[in-house]
Parts: sequence; C-alpha cells; structure tokens
Amino acid sequence: MELTGDGIADVLSGTYSRKGKDMAGLLYVLPGRKDGTFGKAEPLKAANGEPLVLPQGEGENGVVDRICTRQWLCDLDGDGSNDLVVGNFRGTFAWFRGGKDGFAPAASWLQADDKPMTVAHHGDPCLADLDGDGDLDLVSGSSDGDVVWFANAGSRTAPKFAAAKTILVAPPRTNVVDDGEPQPIALGEDHFRAPGSDTRVFVADVDGDGKLDLLVGDSVTAYTAKGGLAEADVQAKHAAWSKKQRAFFQQPSGDGDDAQRKWQEGYEALEKERDAFVTEERTGYVWLLRGK
Amino acid sequence: MLTLLTLLAAAPQGPQFEPPVRMQAGGSYVKVEAPGYACPSWHDVDGDGKGDLVVGQFRDGKMRLFKGQGGGVLAAGEWLRGDKAAAVVPDVW
Repeated sequence: MELTGDGIADVLSGTYSRKGKDMAGLLYVLPGRKDGTFGKAEPLKAANGEPLVLPQGEGENGVVDRICTRQWLCDLDGDGSNDLVVGNFRGTFAWFRGGKDGFAPAASWLQADDKPMTVAHHGDPCLADLDGDGDLDLVSGSSDGDVVWFANAGSRTAPKFAAAKTILVAPPRTNVVDDGEPQPIALGEDHFRAPGSDTRVFVADVDGDGKLDLLVGDSVTAYTAKGGLAEADVQAKHAAWSKKQRAFFQQPSGDGDDAQRKWQEGYEALEKERDAFVTEERTGYVWLLRGK
Repeated sequence: MLTLLTLLAAAPQGPQFEPPVRMQAGGSYVKVEAPGYACPSWHDVDGDGKGDLVVGQFRDGKMRLFKGQGGGVLAAGEWLRGDKAAAVVPDVW
C-alpha cells in the first residue's frame, strides 16, 4: 500500500509488542524506495503525533487488547479518508477513524450483531466487498484457524456488521492434556490439504478472473520419519508417545528447584524419545481459495 | 488422513470459494521459517502490472516477496530488502 504520498508502495505491519515500555503492539511503516528497497520501520502515528496504540481493557488481562496487532487500511465509513481497522490478541477489532489531519488517536471497538466483534484469538481484519452489495465486509483468520466472515448489513457510509459466519473450518488439533484420541501427524508436507491454525487472510483478485479470492496463511507442524519407518509404524509410535506425553502433563510439576529440575529432565527425555523416530518442523504455508 | 479431518464449510449465504490450493513458487511450496505464522498479502510491488505475493513471518519480522510472472506463476522468493539486509518489522519478539 502507499502511505507516504510518493507513489511508491510501502509496507504497513502490525507487531506483537514493543519492549522496554508498557506492552503495546505498535503499527509500523517501512517506506518504499525507488530502488525497490524499504527504509527503516517507523511507528505509524495519529493526528496528534503520538504512535497509534489500541485501547487497553480493564483488569489483569487487559493488555491482550493492545498487543499482537494486525491492521487493514480502508475507508470504512465512506467519508473519503482512510481508516484503520486493527485486530489484537484477544480477537477483537478496533477502528481508528481517519480524517483530513490523519488518524484519530482513540479507537472504538467494532460491533457485530450488536455485540463486540470477536474471533477466537488473534483478530486479523481484512475488509472487502465479499458479497457484492457495495459495502465493506470483514473477514478474519484466527488462532484456532477458522476463517470467519462478518457481513456488512449497513451501508457504504454507515457500516453495521452481522454475526460471524465461518467460511473455513480449521482441522481439529490435539490438546496434550485432554482425553481425546491423539490426531494423526502430518508425515511430509504433501499431507496437508487445507490451512492449519493461526490463519491470516488477505482478499484480492489473485488469478485475475474478476472475482475476489482468499489468501490464507497458516501455521502447521510437519513431521519426517526417521530410519526408513513406514508411515503406519510412525503413526502408531507417535500415538503411543502422545498418550505418554499427556500423562506427563497431567502430573503436577511440583514446587521448588528440585521438582522443577526433575520436571524439565522428564520433559527433555520425552522429546528425545520422540526425536528417535521422527523429526518435527514448524512452518506456515499460503493457500489460495479462488472465488466462485 | 488429514483430508478427512479438515472440513471446508461453505457458508449458505455469502462468499463462496473453491477448495484451498497451496501456493507454489519456483517449484516449491510457499512457506515460512519456523515457527510459522505465514501472513500473506497481494500487491504489485514492482509495478510491472502483475500482482506479487508478499508473505510475512514471525521469525525476525522478515517478509518474502514472490514476484508474479503472469498466468498464476510466481517466481522463487526473495527477502524484501532494507538498507543492507532484509527489511524487518521490529517488536515481533
């Protein structure tokens, strides 16, 4: 996107949190240059010259309202000025209104179906007219991987969002401390057939057919068998190992240095046991869902 | 099979999409470094009239550019560049 007025594309990005001060996920601009490189990241500022910071909620966990930011620049209320919609760790969405002097320093929280607009965690706003009715809808990824759509039931100048509809359901994940059966692991990257968790979305006509497509980034764990083991053998070994891991985590870790040391040794022994038959790689892919 | 564990739900009313296809560039899947968290965007970064894919990642706050070649083909990735090395977004921890 172009933010600095020089006609060259810039980068605008959210962050997890600044360090050395109260926690807040600032937004940063990396100005694009003619030679194709980008300048040093600088905080995006409000009209009053202060960095844009999300409002903090009340209570001990209020900080989750203002960290892990992800932004979308658009004219949400059709007044001719760009606004910013910013997601956060909690999974809610703040709206910084733009005006002729820049962005308002204070934000309001978007509502959907007259309640705070929310996804599981990691609000990931992307605004586009997905239903073709002339106003901006909001689509978001989430920490659990679901991709949800909030239709704008209002208008181009008076947005009013409807309740969430899930348009992409994430695959189930094994919780190491629950009682469910361990899920099969992905042996080799060709096993993945759909996005995993921690989805991040972007809407654009990627294939140039005039219809809006959905790009989805994710996080997954890919495994590779060791020692020429057959897939069935690896799955069986990993299922047994997962049950052992679950039993380990269900045991209290205890208090004191000795107890902590023993717990750490036990944890490392478990990891070593798994590493004997499989290697683990955490990564993330990008998926394209073409618009119909 | 992970295929069976993954359900794609088409909303009865609203946007409709084809099943997901993993993007490739330069003959390999587009992927990010550990621990993951791929964050895609689409923009004509080099101004050649073709859309390009930019993918942010958690590690070091770096972004990889996959230049569009037309016809849905992406070139192998390269880091978005800053002054001397990859351009980085701070505060990603």
